[in-house]
Amino acid sequence: MYWEQNCETMSRDELNGYQLRMLNQTIRRARKAPHYATALAKTPEKGLASLAELAGLPFTSKAELRSGFPYGFLAVAREEVVRLHSSSGTTGNPTVVYHTRGDIAEWENLIARCMYSTGVRRNDVFQNMMGYGLFTGGIGFHYGAERLGVMTIPIGPGNSKRQIWFLKHLQTTVIHILPSYALHLYTLFPETGVDPKKDLKLRIAFIGAEPHSEATRKKIEELYGIKAYDSYGLSEMCGPGVAFECLMQNGLHLWEDHFYPEVIDPSSGRVLPAGEEGELVLTTLKREAMPLIRYRTGDLTRLLPGDCPCGRTHRRIDRIKGRSDDMLIINGVNLFPIQIEKTLMAIPQIGHNYLIEIYKENYMDRLEVKVEINEEVFRGTLSELERLAARVTAELRAEIGVTPVVRLVEPSSLPVSEGKARRVIDRRNQG
Amino acid sequence: MGVQLAVFLENRPGKLESITKALAEAGVNIRGIAMASEGEFGVLKILADDPEKALRVLREHHCTVSRRTVVVAMIEDRPGGLHELLATLAAENINIEDCYGIALEEGHRAAVVLDVERFPEAEAVLRSHGLRLLSDRELTSL
Repeated sequence: MYWEQNCETMSRDELNGYQLRMLNQTIRRARKAPHYATALAKTPEKGLASLAELAGLPFTSKAELRSGFPYGFLAVAREEVVRLHSSSGTTGNPTVVYHTRGDIAEWENLIARCMYSTGVRRNDVFQNMMGYGLFTGGIGFHYGAERLGVMTIPIGPGNSKRQIWFLKHLQTTVIHILPSYALHLYTLFPETGVDPKKDLKLRIAFIGAEPHSEATRKKIEELYGIKAYDSYGLSEMCGPGVAFECLMQNGLHLWEDHFYPEVIDPSSGRVLPAGEEGELVLTTLKREAMPLIRYRTGDLTRLLPGDCPCGRTHRRIDRIKGRSDDMLIINGVNLFPIQIEKTLMAIPQIGHNYLIEIYKENYMDRLEVKVEINEEVFRGTLSELERLAARVTAELRAEIGVTPVVRLVEPSSLPVSEGKARRVIDRRNQG
Repeated sequence: MGVQLAVFLENRPGKLESITKALAEAGVNIRGIAMASEGEFGVLKILADDPEKALRVLREHHCTVSRRTVVVAMIEDRPGGLHELLATLAAENINIEDCYGIALEEGHRAAVVLDVERFPEAEAVLRSHGLRLLSDRELTSL
């Protein structure tokens, strides 16, 4: 049941002592990075005397991470780095996160710990339906599953008929999938003649990368006749594997031997008492290439009070409720409205007003961007409009990593740009 | 030559009607009209008796309008009438981007609206082949 019993069940006193030791090591390492050499200049050389003193250190924001691009947060020599992962786009700067060989090994181990805790064993067959590449979701689970010793199918997302074929013919038992894609995929079974409950050996799904409700989890469990476990992570910490549900399914254990959690009031920055909802702030305790101190995740949640019957002592967070900033999560891909705005404004044929609408279509997120055409360059032909719509689609896809539905609209149909126009309408209700 | 207005339109019920309404209320007479659409949006081409007034009215209604100069050529309303005109342009390798016809008197006269590349040259070619081209004023009084 435990992948590393000592780590997972150590007493709170022991864990707190361990965290303080690791925190001070992290601060020492972090000072080697240009950003923290300045940001931690006032922190005493000998480190902190207690975990409570961490609240006196400055936060690290995503904006700082961006302005530190490319190497402002790197705390090791460049040749120690074996990999990077990155957010989408080139607007502003992407958030790039570096890993040493040691970081990768720790990350793999964390994923193996998560998977093992839900009952995955070496004789399972694991089909990884998350995106591979710069995104951490696919590769993170891939290496974690291999570390555990599970046969891994690196199929990636999409191509639903092939997914179903593999599920059936390789008798896949464990999947890693976006919750929205799990619901969408189910609707495609009838045309393949495969009955997910009779013809498959599926028993476990890891769902993550996008916020979802308890109702969605229940639905996935019922439709497929399996157990679904929520997975939480962010590339800045490593990727998936930061917090994970155990068999009890009552919140996500945040692996406190790797990350130190705080929950703050997003507007005042004040640390909130346990149980209160706010923004999750994380400090890495083991990361070598890019230690982060008090990183503001932007994710809204709370630390759940009480112990978990599973015996693990690491505190649990509630499922993610939303964002403290305007970041959008479209089918698991994170993006900011400003990326869309900057891309649109660089195209002379379109006007200044635009509107982003997000809705569900057959369980998947659809991102619709309405843009006005610029009358000054409108020549009055249909072909130029078709070319324009295709160009806007292509440029947005290149920037945000999501293919939008682009609609050219008449100027009067969009809100005017004076004042603070509402640019994003999210019609998805998380359910 | 004539002035054609091209209006960007979302393809939704009532869109076209809102434009004809605005023009009717302003007393603008539509002499020719054509529509090209692609599903979600389209371009409405209007030949009005008073193009400048029509342009003003449409802009007041927040329409995205483009003003283009087009050739309006008279042809006879009989088999081969249009073909003779197009043959002269083809012989000079002049490409037509857009084209639609308006019947003026059934079985007698018709006009063709041509959006062509190499505009002044196209006009000259047609004139040299004896075709009658209409001006804005003539369009109004037809």
